[in-house]
Amino acid sequence: MKLIVLVTLLTVGMWACKNNNNPETALSVSHERPYTIETVVDHLNNPWGMAWLPDGSMLITEKEGELIHFKNGIKTPIKNVPEVYNRGQGGLLDIVLHPKYSENGWIYLSFSSTEGEGQGGNTKLIRAKLEDYSLTTIESLYKAAPNSTKGQHFGSRIAFDNENYVYFSVGDRGDRDVNPQDITRDGGKIYRLHDDGRIPEDNPFFHQTNAKKAIFTYGNRNPQGLVKHPVTGEIWSHEHGPKGGDEINILQKGKNYGWPVISYGVNYSGTTFTEITEKEGMEQPIHYWVPSIAPCGMDFITGGKYPNWEGNLLVGSLKYNYVELIKLKGDTVVAREKIAEDIGRVRNVKIGPDGYIYIAIEGQGIVKLLPN
Amino acid sequence: MKNTFLFILTAWLFLGCNSSEKKKNTSSLIQNNTLLLQDPLKESMERGGIIYTDFCMQCHMANGLGVAGTFPPLAKSNWLIEKRTESIHAVKFGQKGKIEVNGVSYNSIMVPMGLTNEEVADVLNYVMNSWGNTQKEMVTVEEVSKVTKD
Repeated sequence: MKLIVLVTLLTVGMWACKNNNNPETALSVSHERPYTIETVVDHLNNPWGMAWLPDGSMLITEKEGELIHFKNGIKTPIKNVPEVYNRGQGGLLDIVLHPKYSENGWIYLSFSSTEGEGQGGNTKLIRAKLEDYSLTTIESLYKAAPNSTKGQHFGSRIAFDNENYVYFSVGDRGDRDVNPQDITRDGGKIYRLHDDGRIPEDNPFFHQTNAKKAIFTYGNRNPQGLVKHPVTGEIWSHEHGPKGGDEINILQKGKNYGWPVISYGVNYSGTTFTEITEKEGMEQPIHYWVPSIAPCGMDFITGGKYPNWEGNLLVGSLKYNYVELIKLKGDTVVAREKIAEDIGRVRNVKIGPDGYIYIAIEGQGIVKLLPN
Repeated sequence: MKNTFLFILTAWLFLGCNSSEKKKNTSSLIQNNTLLLQDPLKESMERGGIIYTDFCMQCHMANGLGVAGTFPPLAKSNWLIEKRTESIHAVKFGQKGKIEVNGVSYNSIMVPMGLTNEEVADVLNYVMNSWGNTQKEMVTVEEVSKVTKD
């Protein structure tokens, strides 16, 4: 038995040393910081989502269930926020404004909810308006089912494309072998709806009997990054792998991203759950990480504040406390750089309307990077 | 004496490695000894193992070693022995700020998991009896309920 333990330890050790996130693109660390880090909001616990209103004030979701309005250093709690199922990774999650917010006033929120069938909770998408520091006109757009008391993988990220379709992710809810590959079930999917919650008739499985018609892609594990490419208009996502196998994908209608049939990851225990990393009919990621960085939050750099970085991608690392700058040539990752090293557990990263990089950190708050 | 024996046997069963031979031994032992099935610690640890997989393993890893410098180890952690109440508090309400575990300091955050008192007790019993850890006394629901936020 001692021998087995020793061998296991050695294997784990060797695996951990093999720090080759995608062999062709090594992660570089720059020791000079061409930016200064400035605190914007302090004293937050788990700032999951952030959005900016036209007047520059911020809306911040705290996972525990609080929605905070922040302006000129003052935090004001928003009233009438729906009750959330605050368990494990679930809670009040993402917040995104409608692209035409100034015309229609719609705010989109995702959270875990106990509504519906079964004990526990599952991810829900709503939209609402903000009046007098209170949510009004709340409309339910989607509620994943059934509920589960498992603590993992609620997904949650929300994005709009150029035609104002709304996309959102629901993770596999810890049921790896049940949900992601089954299009008649929720979980392990990215969904697409009209902005009012109607299901588009040209969704890939709209005419398939028993399918969840809102599904846009499947075979996803736990996507916590979802954003529109500023030039192509495509929706990019990233998702957590288990131990290894975090991925960046570009969403294509009806495609299967392979979880858990193909993966570059292994079980947390180090054992394997699949022998294969590719299969016909399943999409390859444009990038994967081994070991996992636990990606959370994602945005493209636009707005001209960082000329050397313009058009590249930012991904937060929950696990290694930095933001990864992913340099792209089209859809190809050509270089990767660590920025804001040792900043803390990065829950979200976004470009603000002022063009600056904003980073939300667990247990701390929100900072921005000012170029020197 | 009998209790001690049972405890040791149970602990041994749980510390046993993954070889299929051992598993076979385990199941036949369980079949031969229905008393084991009624062992409250064993039952609690069994439930706790599921909670651990669901809520803790992503950071503290399957081997309880955590991630050096980021997520403190649970395996052979001095914290679990010396700071029992703080350990219960951390699982029940989350943990934030600087702590020292096995001589290494950590300054991170673990958000509250939303576990019930029973789940807190179960997962602690699992953690406190895995990877070479042993506890003197099993964590009970009553003990967890007495640990308050402030």
